[in-house]
Amino acid sequence: MNEQAIKELLYTLADNQLVLGHRNSEWTGIGPILEEDIAFSSMAQDKLGHSLAFYALLYELGESDPDTLAFMRNPSQFHCCQLVELPIGEYDFSLIRHFLYDHAEAIRFEYLTQAGYEPLAKVATKLRGELKYHLLHANTMVKQLGNATAESINRLQQSLNDAFPYALGMFESSPYEAELASAGIFPLESQIQTQWLENIRKVLAQTQLQLPDLESVMPVFGGRRGVHSEYLQPLLDEMAEVYNLDPNTEW
Amino acid sequence: MMLTSLDPRVNRLQVPAEWPDLPVKNQLDQWATYEVFAQKRENTAYAYVGPVHAPDLEVAFLFAKEQYSRRVACFGLWVVKTQAIQHTPYVNDNELVWGMINIPAAIRPAEPQQPFEIFILKKRGKAHTHAGMVMASDYPAALAVAKEQFGDQAPCVNVWVMPAAQVFKSAEEDKDLWLTLSEKKYREPVAYKVLDKINAFKTRTISNP
Repeated sequence: MNEQAIKELLYTLADNQLVLGHRNSEWTGIGPILEEDIAFSSMAQDKLGHSLAFYALLYELGESDPDTLAFMRNPSQFHCCQLVELPIGEYDFSLIRHFLYDHAEAIRFEYLTQAGYEPLAKVATKLRGELKYHLLHANTMVKQLGNATAESINRLQQSLNDAFPYALGMFESSPYEAELASAGIFPLESQIQTQWLENIRKVLAQTQLQLPDLESVMPVFGGRRGVHSEYLQPLLDEMAEVYNLDPNTEW
Repeated sequence: MMLTSLDPRVNRLQVPAEWPDLPVKNQLDQWATYEVFAQKRENTAYAYVGPVHAPDLEVAFLFAKEQYSRRVACFGLWVVKTQAIQHTPYVNDNELVWGMINIPAAIRPAEPQQPFEIFILKKRGKAHTHAGMVMASDYPAALAVAKEQFGDQAPCVNVWVMPAAQVFKSAEEDKDLWLTLSEKKYREPVAYKVLDKINAFKTRTISNP
């Protein structure tokens, strides 16, 4: 099997979790209510933990160690989608992004637990429970605020409209995906997207929110091949600020 | 003038240094309180861990999960609105609360029965622990049945009664929700062994100011 294909998949999974984990951590101390501050912070911690697990698999395949991968790469070497790079905005945007992202991630993890690449399947099985909670959190809060007041519904709808083209960008195909699919390692992105749409529609149907018309939306692709928004570089600078003071220090 | 802070996240929020007069919003309803019970070891009785504030039962469950399962072992949570709980008076540690419970003059078994969960407190300052479930038509009847079934349990200084239908219980198939990863030591404060470093730093700076 092509090792390059596995590595590309691992980088995509890990970078998405790392960057969104960092974004979610920005709510620590400034969340709209204490409970959500805590929830976003602890989900951020989970996501960083997941990225570490994937970077560790890459290390076993001969890539650099996790710290170097996380802190020392340029934006063009990151495979994350642009959705996860966007600033946290206001709480409504962060919540909608969390909802759109974790629905996709939960589907990915379900497939990963059955992946025909055992180290990956093992990691996914161990982490799946946390994803389940992230999904429960997103669904509960979207249902709550998507039915609450005119302000909460309008804000979430606006954020949904803004985030949706980027969310479709989560399903950017890779040159290796046909190979991975035929090897029984990971399905095609288009297949994940179809399931994702079905799942988010089920939740949104229980709210006052409308999913934007798929036909009228241009997905924002590029992230997976290293083409990123203007927001990634400042995020990486900030994330690596302490590390770069002395990369050789022992923690 | 924008608020400036050493924390770059605060600067990014573009918060005004001084707040203008904000329009007064309508007073929203207060959130209700919910009581949370956790199973700390597999196949043991659920015990009271504390309250949460939430707009409804589902959100209460989320907040409870965050607050009461993240840093301690947990295998399941029950959440119930505080208002749905009725309780006996408290007695002192050397007394028995069961003696204060009167059997209602007429127990009417013909009335529709429903399950009630019974929690008992063995010692003041400890946590209420699940004793079992009883079938009854209302709270006083449930307490009477509880006395029959659990009255031999001593010590007991207080009893809580709640309709089982109002208790939100985590599902068996969601067991993996509670698996916290053993390698995530960085979540625990004990993982940060920094005192040596702080002391070394102090010694260094004090000797070489």
